[in-house]
Amino acid sequence: MSTTTQTAVPAQAASLASSTAFRTFATVFAIATPVIYVTCEMANIPLFTYHPGTGNMNFGWAPAVKDEGPAMHWYGWTAATLLGAGALGIIAAKLPESAARRIPLALVWIAPLAAVPVLIYALRFFWRW
Amino acid sequence: MDFIYDYISVNTFWTILFIVHALLAVALLGALTHQAMSVLMRAHQAAGPAGFVTRFTAVHGPSYAAAVCVLWIATFIFGAWIYAKYRIYVRIPIEQDGFWKTQGAFELKEHLATIGLGLLPIYWYFWKNARTVDYDSARKWLTVTLAAMCWYMFLTGHIVNNVRGFGS
Repeated sequence: MSTTTQTAVPAQAASLASSTAFRTFATVFAIATPVIYVTCEMANIPLFTYHPGTGNMNFGWAPAVKDEGPAMHWYGWTAATLLGAGALGIIAAKLPESAARRIPLALVWIAPLAAVPVLIYALRFFWRW
Repeated sequence: MDFIYDYISVNTFWTILFIVHALLAVALLGALTHQAMSVLMRAHQAAGPAGFVTRFTAVHGPSYAAAVCVLWIATFIFGAWIYAKYRIYVRIPIEQDGFWKTQGAFELKEHLATIGLGLLPIYWYFWKNARTVDYDSARKWLTVTLAAMCWYMFLTGHIVNNVRGFGS
């Protein structure tokens, strides 16, 4: 391994850690993730559907195929969430510093906590006695 | 991946993946718990030798941040990998046996795993700037939130494994 390779990674990490654009990206990414995920889950909007019995995939939502096992949407919700939150984060990173500073940092932990009761409600089918 | 089955059985392969997933989760749980306790209970110097609680909480939080991110992502990848098999060979029998609340708890676990993934960049950023006082509150409660999520996911995974684990 060359010396250049050994020093490049810490230098890159240090520059990210001191970047205000990265801070804005990460803040918006963290806030948007639970919001988009809850929306995708409750409205059932996966980016794709995976059929583990056959290994087939469909774009968007698709039902289970008879005699071919269940359909899985979690992978599609996750992909949609990460892409959506990533896009919002990139847009936000281009905001001027004064605007980015107005985003409340507390939302990065309040938004995921607020998502929990909504997700528990969305899973009400399973809470049967 | 089918060439692997020339050397080990299908069951052994998926069991290895599951055990790796579980071991990564143990490491993640330990790291996050230490870090969360360190921000909740400021380490204080006792007059005498430091006790268990003081030593447990007196960790250097920033040095855990990158490891926590890597462990969360690695645990997530292994979990997502074995999830497809879970959906067919574990969830269906769980539903047939009527363990609905167990299944519901597992559904919430998968939701939290994805949401936690989205929190990692800002979590890393906060800890890389551990001396910035402006981030103290957000850093503290984000770390505690991630630790709580991790505990929930770990215990739920353990319960599901008890319901439909090895040999069942």
